[in-house]
Amino acid sequence: MATTTVAKQLEVRSANEAPWETLFLFLGPALLIYVAFTLYPVWKTFYNSLYVMTPPHNVQKYVGLGNFVSLLTQDQIFRQAVRNTAVFSVVGTLADVGGGLLLALCLFAKVPLARLWRVVWFTPVLISYVVVGIIWVWIYDYDWGVLNTVLRGIGLGSLAHSWLGDPSTALWAVLLAQVWKWTGFNMIVFLAALYALPADVLGAAELDHCGWTAKLVHIILPMMRPTVVTLLVLSFIGKMMIFDVVWIMTHGGPLWSTETVSTYVYKRAFDWNTFDLGYPSAIAVVWFILILGFVALMTRLLSQRGKLELY
Amino acid sequence: MRRLLAYTRKIPRLAFILACTVVTGGPFLWVTAMSVRTTPEILDHPYALPKRLHWEKFVRAWTTANYGSYFWNSTVVVVIAVALVVVIGAMAAHALARYRFCGSGLVRFLILSSMMLPPQMLILSLFQMMFRYGLYNSLSGLIIVYVATQLPLTVYLLESFFAQIPQDLFDAARLDGYSDFEIFWRITLPIALPAVFTTVTLNFILLWNEFLYAVVLLTDNSKRTLPLGIMQFMGGHQLDIGMVATGLMIAILPVILLYAFFSETIIRGMTAGAVR
Amino acid sequence: MKYLIATCAVALVVALWLWRGRAQTDGLTLTIWSHEADEPAKVALREYVARQLEKAHPALRVKITWYEIDGLSTALKTALPAGQGPDVFYIQSDQTDYITNGYVAPLDDLIDWSNIYDWARQAWLIDGKTWAVPQEVYTDELYYNKRLLAQLGFTLPADAQFTQDEFFELVEKARAAGITPIAQGAGDRDFPGAYILTQALLRKLGPEDYGKLFDGTLSFSDPRVADVFRWVKSLVDAGAYPKNFMTMKLAEAHYYFYQRPGAVMLPMGSWYTGRAFVPVDDGGQPPDFPLGIMQFPAMNGGACNECKTRAVGASFAINAASRHKELAAEYLNRMSTPEIGKRWIETVYLQSAVKTDVSSIGGSYGAYYKELMDRQRGAKYFPGDPSDFIHGQCLDTFTQVMNTSFPGGLLSVERAIELMNQGCYTAGDRGAGSAMNP
Repeated sequence: MATTTVAKQLEVRSANEAPWETLFLFLGPALLIYVAFTLYPVWKTFYNSLYVMTPPHNVQKYVGLGNFVSLLTQDQIFRQAVRNTAVFSVVGTLADVGGGLLLALCLFAKVPLARLWRVVWFTPVLISYVVVGIIWVWIYDYDWGVLNTVLRGIGLGSLAHSWLGDPSTALWAVLLAQVWKWTGFNMIVFLAALYALPADVLGAAELDHCGWTAKLVHIILPMMRPTVVTLLVLSFIGKMMIFDVVWIMTHGGPLWSTETVSTYVYKRAFDWNTFDLGYPSAIAVVWFILILGFVALMTRLLSQRGKLELY
Repeated sequence: MRRLLAYTRKIPRLAFILACTVVTGGPFLWVTAMSVRTTPEILDHPYALPKRLHWEKFVRAWTTANYGSYFWNSTVVVVIAVALVVVIGAMAAHALARYRFCGSGLVRFLILSSMMLPPQMLILSLFQMMFRYGLYNSLSGLIIVYVATQLPLTVYLLESFFAQIPQDLFDAARLDGYSDFEIFWRITLPIALPAVFTTVTLNFILLWNEFLYAVVLLTDNSKRTLPLGIMQFMGGHQLDIGMVATGLMIAILPVILLYAFFSETIIRGMTAGAVR
Repeated sequence: MKYLIATCAVALVVALWLWRGRAQTDGLTLTIWSHEADEPAKVALREYVARQLEKAHPALRVKITWYEIDGLSTALKTALPAGQGPDVFYIQSDQTDYITNGYVAPLDDLIDWSNIYDWARQAWLIDGKTWAVPQEVYTDELYYNKRLLAQLGFTLPADAQFTQDEFFELVEKARAAGITPIAQGAGDRDFPGAYILTQALLRKLGPEDYGKLFDGTLSFSDPRVADVFRWVKSLVDAGAYPKNFMTMKLAEAHYYFYQRPGAVMLPMGSWYTGRAFVPVDDGGQPPDFPLGIMQFPAMNGGACNECKTRAVGASFAINAASRHKELAAEYLNRMSTPEIGKRWIETVYLQSAVKTDVSSIGGSYGAYYKELMDRQRGAKYFPGDPSDFIHGQCLDTFTQVMNTSFPGGLLSVERAIELMNQGCYTAGDRGAGSAMNP
């Protein structure tokens, strides 16, 4: 991790005072785009969340915190979406990061053709969610999907199931597709961190006849703590915003069992045949604040040094 | 004897590795097979190997099923957006890494903190804005949005690479009479070329796969990018699994081809945000 | 400095290129936005009328942009409030919000209405004015496989309508014979899974109370409604639908019905033809497929067993902000001539809102069209399916419950009724419209 070296260089670097034209030339375009297409839209979303755009002619009506009040007190679908997203974020994060660690350890312990496996296992990371989603819809197909075909093939046909059609399995089915896509990512990062571990530490543990599990829990994980924290936070944030895979596989159904906050925002904004962007903006704002809170909390809880590598 | 024991101990692990490979690679092989089979063939035997390779499906997908135009749109949008974001981002990263100025901390904080902004915070108002400025349902609008969304990550990555270039080089260049822009153009970029290339591949793959902004900002069939085109076919008028599979292959192939040649760079690019 | 200039030049070029997209509607161009990009027969017809209009006005260009419905709605929802958008656009009955928001020009004096059925015109009558020209008309029908029905030992009565008990028996016998009774799926649309249920409700309650049920003034706890739900539940439990009902897409349901594995019935709007009457290689039905049409079953004690749903489908409206309203109206008038009406029926095999002499309909599916007309004899019509006229939370609940989970066998009768009441029943303090803003 190069953070410390960067910091050192920043300190020893001789003062590079730059004339403002130069700064403007270099930073101008980026700042312009940032202000126009990030800062302003964010401000606009906050602003919109306080209004209801009502027919006719989309008159904006100021409602103050009205949108927030009805969102937090009355909206059953929002509650369901929050629950689903929470399950998705927690379970998905643990599965992604845990699975990645398992695969990385597997490759780290000298297996034949490790490079090849690494390349193959990483492939799903590169593939669009649209492709991943469609492939998994086919895998879960009741009549000719891989999963049911295999189940019927090994005589467990009674377990064959409409995986995406049953509210009790749909969320897990979508979650699995998502884990399939991202585990390889975590694996690669862990692998890099494993190779960066000082060899003598692992060697010393070997001499102590330390078992694999003990070595993992007492030596490897603590030493990789920054990586673990980074991956947990990255994965968690990603899943709090999950949209693509759900939208492609289930559109939030059946019976709202896979509705996430992001799909709900999209539905309210573009699918409900109303012209109102105020209410969905309010959902986005609430969710943004919640994500910020979670990131701060997780960073605090998981990293004793109180410093997150990524941000 | 001990060697034999060692091998038997390894069997579960090898089985596990094999299983993982089947699970990750299998679906791709399946789709590959389906992409050269016709829908009736697939519905007869979903898992059979192609009896005859129906390459003409790719021609049909490209021409009559519109994948050619989707592919072209994706290429135009992604190439222009990546070029713009890397140039603009590199300039900003250079300034942040090289110069000390009042407010640089703020700029750094703003740009980096927006990396964890949920897209929903942007998309509703971007949608309104794009519309107001006539950029809705146009590839140019999507390019601008892509540049804006990828800018923070690009600046963040490039800045950390640029900052590692030894200062002596810059001092020497200045003594030689290089202007500020020449320093950027002739020193920073060439030296950090591998890092720039990593950033390019990362942005390319992220944008090639992007779905949410595209689905909100593009509606006209002739403007659709590949992910949208495939989705449109999937929920489409007729049941044509074979053609969807062909479309999936068209979307996957460029990425897989790149991956075959530059797997290390791409892996580095994709994980650059998490490991520095 | 050289680089600075070069950069500025590049930026300028890029900026110009980006703004290029802005000015497009100059000159005399009539712009039309239409749905149904992937129905070649409809595309051909509308383009044909466009070319005719161009011939009549040599300086004019008519440009039709083809969309899918989702894209079209999003585009319109942004274009119209900004006072932009096309001169003419496709509209269907679940999109009255364009009208109530004032984005549509009233057409009473612009259009020659003499060619259009009055009842079809009525569908677009809001606040005493007519807002769109209907082109397509469809009815909800119960398609069936004549060979399979005979094989199961059933004969269709002369009035083509089974009773609810006979229908249940048919479902049971089919299932026992290993044949799927009703091909249908709710995987990608918000209405097909609900056909059997909504049609039964319409017959049981009669048009008036059926309407009330969905405008929030009649409770789903009404004993007649509960009766219908119980009957449908008994069908579901008897295995009326395919196992993968929940995820089956509309196009898959067609294929399931007439190709593989085959089913006795398929409830569908009469636009069934758009998917079925195309070559087999494109997913159409086999040429020798024994297609028949029956009425949805009669309910015991039904208030209106001769009731059917008839809806106005594809229609076209003129943008209130259009600068070429006369030309736009001329396009719509040219689309509504008896000649075009006949052409519509003969190429799309679907009813037309244009008064057309149907006795002479030929073409390879003439017999089909005759049977379709036979099923209309003596019918009393209710306008539209619920998914056409309910909105917001009620529609969302309808989609999740009546279209998907209840026929999917996931909900008990009580739970389904409870959820529907939560989503749609708004009698008392709240009007139907407020269901949109919880």
